[in-house]
Amino acid sequence: MSRIPLKESLFLGFCAVFTLLFRALFRLHLHIPGHAMFFTVFFLFMARASVNRLLAASFTGMLAGMGALVLGIGKAGPMLFAKFILPGLVIDLAALLVPGLFQSTILCLMVAALAGSSKFLDTWVVDWLIGMDKKVMLQHALFEGGTAMLFGLIAGLFVVPVIRKLQSHGVIPGKSVEPV
Amino acid sequence: MLLIDSKSRPKGCQARSASKITLNRYGRSTVWVWFVVALVLSFLAFGAKTVVALTWLSAGDMVLLIVHRPGRRFLRRMIKVMCWQVALIVSLYCLRFGYAAGWLSGLTTAWQLCLAFLPGAIFIETVPEHLITRMLTDVMPSRPAFVLATCLNFIPMIIAEAKSIYQGQVLRGARILPKDLADPRNWAEMLNCLVVPMMIHSMKLAHEIALAAKARDFGIMKGRTSWSWEADSCNNGGSRRGTRMEEQ
Repeated sequence: MSRIPLKESLFLGFCAVFTLLFRALFRLHLHIPGHAMFFTVFFLFMARASVNRLLAASFTGMLAGMGALVLGIGKAGPMLFAKFILPGLVIDLAALLVPGLFQSTILCLMVAALAGSSKFLDTWVVDWLIGMDKKVMLQHALFEGGTAMLFGLIAGLFVVPVIRKLQSHGVIPGKSVEPV
Repeated sequence: MLLIDSKSRPKGCQARSASKITLNRYGRSTVWVWFVVALVLSFLAFGAKTVVALTWLSAGDMVLLIVHRPGRRFLRRMIKVMCWQVALIVSLYCLRFGYAAGWLSGLTTAWQLCLAFLPGAIFIETVPEHLITRMLTDVMPSRPAFVLATCLNFIPMIIAEAKSIYQGQVLRGARILPKDLADPRNWAEMLNCLVVPMMIHSMKLAHEIALAAKARDFGIMKGRTSWSWEADSCNNGGSRRGTRMEEQ
C-alpha cells in the first residue's frame, strides 16, 4: 500500500469514511437485515474505480473496518474486519480479472452480487466456530448472505451511472478505470 | 488529538459520547488490557458448549457491563440485535429438529452467539475514539495509520459539508428525505444529488491534504516522523525554535 500516492490513499480513506457515515446517516428504515451492504459495496466500487491500484478496494475495506471499530458502527464481532474486507477482495479480484468491469452494468451487477454474498462466508465462519448444526448453519448463512446479496445487487445497479458522472467531472480519469 | 466533535456526529455515533467510560484516566495500556479481556471473552464463547460454561461467561460479560457502564441506548440496540438473532436461530432449529428438541439447543446456540459478539461491542462502545485510534496506530504501518487518523479527523468537516449539500438539495426539491428513501426508486437521486458532490469534494480535500503533507516533508523517511517544534512551541510560548523533523 506504500506505493499508492498519498492523495489516492486519502481518497480511499474518505471512501471508507463515507461507507460508515452513510450507513449511520441513512439507516433506511427497511428493517431488512443486510441493507448496510448497499453502501459498503457501492463505496468499495467507487474506491476501486477511482484508484486503479491492486487491492485498492480491500485497503478501503480495511480502513472502513478500523473506522467502524473506532466509531462504534455496526455489530462488533470477531468478524468485523471481514465484513468490509471480503467484499473489497471480491471487487479487487474482479477488477483484475475482468477488463472493462466499470463500464458494464451487467458485469457490475454480477460482481456486486458476489461481493454482497461474501456475508455468507463470515456468517458461516462464525456459526461454524460456535458449533452450530450444519443444516441450520447453512440456512442461517444463506439467509444473511442472500439479503446482503440483494442489497449488493441494488448497489451494483448505480455504479456505472455514478462512475460516468464522476468521469464527466474529472474525478475519475476516463481510461484509468481499466485494470492494468 | 483525534476526538471527534460529538455535535457533528451522525445519530449512530452520538450514543457513544453519553457512555464514554472513565478509561481516559487509565491511559493506553489499560485500553490494551480491556481489548485483550474482550477478545478472550469473545473467543471463549466459541468454545463454551455447556449451559454452565455459558453462565460463567455471561457473568464475565455482566462484570464488563458493570465496569464499562455503556448507555441505555447501547443496551437497547444490543437487545434488539440479540432478540432478532435469537428468534432467527431458534426458528431455524425448531424447523430442523422440531419444537420439542429444537428450542433448547437453538436457544443455547443463540446465547453462545450473543456472548461472542457482546464483549467486542461493549469495548468499542465505551472506549474513547482517540484511544482506539492510538491503539490501532500502534500496530499499523505509518502510512495507513496517518490516512486513518487524518480521515477520522476530517469527519466533522465532511458531515458539515454533507449537511449543507443535503439541505440545499432538499430545498431544490430532491426526493432524499428519510421518508422518500424508503422507496428504492429514490436511491439513485440520493446518489446523484448527495454522493457525487461529496466524492468530488473529498477528492479535492484529499489533494489539499496531500499537498500540505508534502510541504511538511511527509514520507521522506521510512518510519513515523513528527516536527519537534510542536513540543517546543508548547514550552516556548509558540515560538518555532529548533524546527526539525524527527523519526519516531
